[in-house]
Amino acid sequence: MKWRGWLIALFLLLSPPVLAHKASDSYLMLDVQGREITGQWDIALRDIDFALGLDVDGNGEITWGELRARHAGIDAWALGRLALDRGGACELQVADHLVDSHTDGAYAVLKLAGRCPSSAGELKLNYRLLFDLDGLHRGLLRLGLDGVTQTAVLAPDRSEQRFAAGEVSRLAQFGQYLVEGIWHIWIGFDHILFLLSLLLPAVLVHEARRWRGVASFRVALVEVLWVVTAFTVAHSITLSLAALGLIELPSRLVEAAIAASVVLAAANNLKPLVERRRWLVAFCFGLIHGFGFASVLAELGLPQETLVLSLLGFNLGVEIGQLAIVAVFLPVAYLLRNTPFYRRGVFVGGSLATLAIALVWFVERAFDLKLISG
Amino acid sequence: MLPITLGIDDRLTAFQIFLASLAFLVVAPDALAAPRKPLTDSEVLERLPQRAADPVARELGELRAAAASASTNPVPAARLAQAYFDLALARGDPRYVGYAEAVVARFGEPMPAGLRQVRGLLRQYRHDFDGALADFAAVVAADPELAEAHAWRAAIFLVRADYGAAEQECVHLERLGRKGLAGGCRGLALAYGGQLDAAARILQKTLESSTDPGNRLWLLTRLGEVAAWSGKPALAERHFRDALRLGRDDVYLLAAWGDFLLDSGRNDEVLKDLAGWEAADSLLLRLAEAEAKLGRSNASRLAQALADRFAAARARGDDTHMAEEARFRLRLRKDVGAALRLAVDNYRVQREPRDARVLLEAAIAAGDAAAARPVRDWLESSGFEDAVLRRLGQESALGIRR
Repeated sequence: MKWRGWLIALFLLLSPPVLAHKASDSYLMLDVQGREITGQWDIALRDIDFALGLDVDGNGEITWGELRARHAGIDAWALGRLALDRGGACELQVADHLVDSHTDGAYAVLKLAGRCPSSAGELKLNYRLLFDLDGLHRGLLRLGLDGVTQTAVLAPDRSEQRFAAGEVSRLAQFGQYLVEGIWHIWIGFDHILFLLSLLLPAVLVHEARRWRGVASFRVALVEVLWVVTAFTVAHSITLSLAALGLIELPSRLVEAAIAASVVLAAANNLKPLVERRRWLVAFCFGLIHGFGFASVLAELGLPQETLVLSLLGFNLGVEIGQLAIVAVFLPVAYLLRNTPFYRRGVFVGGSLATLAIALVWFVERAFDLKLISG
Repeated sequence: MLPITLGIDDRLTAFQIFLASLAFLVVAPDALAAPRKPLTDSEVLERLPQRAADPVARELGELRAAAASASTNPVPAARLAQAYFDLALARGDPRYVGYAEAVVARFGEPMPAGLRQVRGLLRQYRHDFDGALADFAAVVAADPELAEAHAWRAAIFLVRADYGAAEQECVHLERLGRKGLAGGCRGLALAYGGQLDAAARILQKTLESSTDPGNRLWLLTRLGEVAAWSGKPALAERHFRDALRLGRDDVYLLAAWGDFLLDSGRNDEVLKDLAGWEAADSLLLRLAEAEAKLGRSNASRLAQALADRFAAARARGDDTHMAEEARFRLRLRKDVGAALRLAVDNYRVQREPRDARVLLEAAIAAGDAAAARPVRDWLESSGFEDAVLRRLGQESALGIRR
């Protein structure tokens, strides 16, 4: 278990969860792609108990055993109160049973899978769970229909709803992936550290075994542009190849190689091997980072009908995120380039710290260990 | 009350805590974030609000059975729905309101008077005040014996600050010879209309002739509020304590008592007397305010829990928590803009003294004199005597950001 998880667990243990009295909700998440349905339905144990009676021994506690024994009955009860229709009635099954917690207590989690007769057209949904027993019950629906997400509140007077498909606003889709791209470079510390390792020496020149500040901002800017452009071009290539399914690499290998690239980039600052053609380094390792972005994109899922547009949006988002980092970094670094604070503290100290972190990442990823990162 | 204090109490030793945490981590490593599969059948997933053998559960079970065995008979259905509604108010648990709704919804129009009365209650709970007034009017027209409907109509008119209409309902109750209801009605109408001394006299007189513990609790709570508004904290405390001593669960009483303590700076006592009531939103709000005033680290956890609950309510399209959310935004999140918007919206629906107060406080914090004008108008027209509200009213007129 990861250390952050331990801390959270301990914290929560010392302060028991603040459970709410709230009106009954179920959380229904459905993803309909063409004919295929996958989904998850969270229903409060208290509600199931009220409808079906789970507390067999009457001790006021519901155990996993008591719940497990009733899974078949629960499935029949729940699925009998949910109907999907796309060109005819869709089949729906419970593929797995889990549990989860929400603000008001424990929930049964039904993993759903199913198939519709038609792969296109509107989706009709009829929801009647608990309405006969609890007039304030609501179904909170999040529906992904062919890649477009919609939400709805299902209530007794709005138990049947229709969702139009295929009206994807291309611009909205593009914008959504653009934002995802920006976001993922900002939370992707390995990409940021790699980029910064290459950028740190951009305001310096290595001459006669010594570092000194560059003469003009222009020199630094040109160097940064070369590095960023090379990195961008490289990872765009591999990101596109991977996203289109033309090349596939094991993710553990990719992740370990990304960590190794950060190690090498940081080490190169401490003992320069590559000095002039850093853009070449950026390009070569950028190819590997592109595979890393691709795995993020795979998690997001690329809608088939707007594949190229979404890919372009995501890529552009990554660029914008990168440029934002550069725009903050470069002026500051340029101003500080001749100070000992930058040379020793930021450049040497930063590279050392980066090296250390990246080494740990590398060991963790290459050997599938959990050392520090959460 | 939910058994939410399941893990820790003062009697646990550090070693037990250590053992418990080990067990917790072994049994439920990823219990907290994502869906998971429990490892053992004996793992307890949920504790129900009551066991099947508890008196409340038994009583509900009997009422349910009676309603089920005569499914077309509205009398046992009304009794069951009323029991659910009472339990919801006592414990602050809206699930019971939903159960009552479903029981009532099984009957079509025209609805028998007894059941329609419960529907009125449910509608006013959802802030459908027009629908509730119509239901109560139909109830008294059909069956004058169901005089409580007049009292509920009066309560709704008071919430809307329509004191003339409330007074009319009190007159009806007097004509019907329902002294207890009429006394409560008139006392509250006088209090909201600004005549606190006269209100206290009538409420006190009604209390002396009342024996039903539920009615006594209500009267004592209102007497406590009136005394606090009149600037008589010792008297208010005596009334509240008398009410608490009745030993009945009542969220409204605890909220009023909590506000009284908060206003008196007795934050420790809020934590003590409201302990274990975190499940009720309104009481969690008071607890979080007390923790924040004491500078406790737990305050942020409670505030986050409240924020989650307001978000959950919004997700299901529920807008009945505006007054409390306004107070939450203002006092705990210092989000003055959102607090003022909520307080203004809330005051369009509800105009009781506590609604007036949160609007004044938010308007003062925002330096927005115009936003508080409806409250100042009310203070002027009603002559409401609470010194705190009067001071806030004057301050709000200045429109200077605090």
